[in-house]
Amino acid sequence: MTVTVATAERQEIFDAIVSALDEVLRQDLSGVTEQTRLFDDLNLDSTGVLGLLMALEDALDMQVDPESLEQRHLESVGALASFIAESR
Amino acid sequence: MSTFLEGVKVACTGSAATPLVLLGNFEVEDEWARDEVGLPSVAGRASAAIVNRMDEFAVLLAGGGDYVVLKSAPDPDYLSYLDGLGLDLPTILVTDGQDPANTVSVDALRSPRLLSELKKLDAHLFPHGMSTVEEQLCELTGLAPALPPAALVKSVNSKIYSRRVATELGLPQAHGWACETVTEFAAAADAARASLAAGRRLGIKDAFGVSGKGIMVVDDERRLDQLVRMVTRRAERSGDQRIALVVEEWADKALDLNYHFTVGRDGSVRFDFVKEAITENGVHKGHHIPARISPEHYAQIVQCAQLLGERLAADGFHGVVGVDAITTRDGGLLPVLEINARNNMSTYQTRLQETFMRPGMVALARQYHLTLMGHVSFAQMRDRLGGLLFTGQQGLLVNNFATVNAAATDDGRSYSGRLYGLLIAHSEEELTALDASIAERVQKEELVNV
Repeated sequence: MTVTVATAERQEIFDAIVSALDEVLRQDLSGVTEQTRLFDDLNLDSTGVLGLLMALEDALDMQVDPESLEQRHLESVGALASFIAESR
Repeated sequence: MSTFLEGVKVACTGSAATPLVLLGNFEVEDEWARDEVGLPSVAGRASAAIVNRMDEFAVLLAGGGDYVVLKSAPDPDYLSYLDGLGLDLPTILVTDGQDPANTVSVDALRSPRLLSELKKLDAHLFPHGMSTVEEQLCELTGLAPALPPAALVKSVNSKIYSRRVATELGLPQAHGWACETVTEFAAAADAARASLAAGRRLGIKDAFGVSGKGIMVVDDERRLDQLVRMVTRRAERSGDQRIALVVEEWADKALDLNYHFTVGRDGSVRFDFVKEAITENGVHKGHHIPARISPEHYAQIVQCAQLLGERLAADGFHGVVGVDAITTRDGGLLPVLEINARNNMSTYQTRLQETFMRPGMVALARQYHLTLMGHVSFAQMRDRLGGLLFTGQQGLLVNNFATVNAAATDDGRSYSGRLYGLLIAHSEEELTALDASIAERVQKEELVNV
């Protein structure tokens, strides 16, 4: 499924995710798109996801409970963006 | 002189001649953590399929009179390669079916044909680590457990146990706190603020996390507060105030070390070895053999192994134990970061070292990360490696091939693979050059389409 960046809010969430990923992974993220897979392409692990959520809470001024995340929400940057958009 | 495994057999079964059934149930910590509350967890982990195929490491720990249970039969060319090196290989038994998400133990429990074969054996079950799943296997098959009961093994694998024992024995360790309730965690976080203010980092570790995983490194108070809030919110929702975490100052590491000893049923302790561990972002990547440490640190480690072994024996444990330690930049040694009372990655290299490493030789046990588009056979990999493959003198001795294709998908997308091997050379220079050549050769783009 291709998710298109359609709105300013979506772009804001995407940017926040990339900047949170930068904080956690400290690696080159220039090629990251909504289709990038968090585990397979970026080698994120479960502790990394926790750090990512904390950075997102800060950037987007929201609360995320890790337990409410399901596997499908973490499949790609776009899937996580959709989850964040719904949770805000 | 007896071999490493013969010593383990004596320690765990009383005789060097006891046949073992080996089971590579890697990341057994997930079983131990099942009823525990650790760091807030998130769903999903892509690497489970690869980790579960680490079961194949057991083939090179076992000997000719032993059995190894695997999730699927090894690549026949890989077995021929090992046979060609003169290794006396164990009898391989395969589970009836395999689900990539399951450990070999879970697949084995669901395999009536395999279970009936195991019932016919007069052998001891020697898993990577003992959990209730392997206990069930013993019950169903009549195999005698080579290790103590799962509850005891679990208890000595907690990082809280490691801290308490190190304190009790007066061994140096990082300043830290063991937390068993949310209130204790909040209090530890409060106390740890002083460390952050002094410019130090904190590691917050799951007591039952897989070695190197389940650790959150925090370097500012905001993140620490956020973590305390997350943990508190979860406890309020669940009504469960329990937690199993360790908060520690993150030491200024010079080298990661892994040392290994074997505790006998009679309380005897055999020091096995110390290796230099290679980690990247806290995750284990391999070992350098021998460890490049001073004779003083070596002597301290041997002494710690004896003390810890005696302490574990007093608590009723027997079996192999690996301990993670570090040397610090100021020349110190922190000898107990965590006790892993189970097989370690280094355990699986012992037979290859005994067989192929001569005095003065050096080795690097490591993994190469691969990106693949389709199944790669051992014959293809052998051709790719050419003269870099170990055939008796120097080169890469592949010690697990199942992890290369474990994560293969059928949706046409790329997948990750791991090629594990022991790189053996006659000098440091040769080792470094071999490593670079192999990395370059296996990571070439063409491998994507072989």
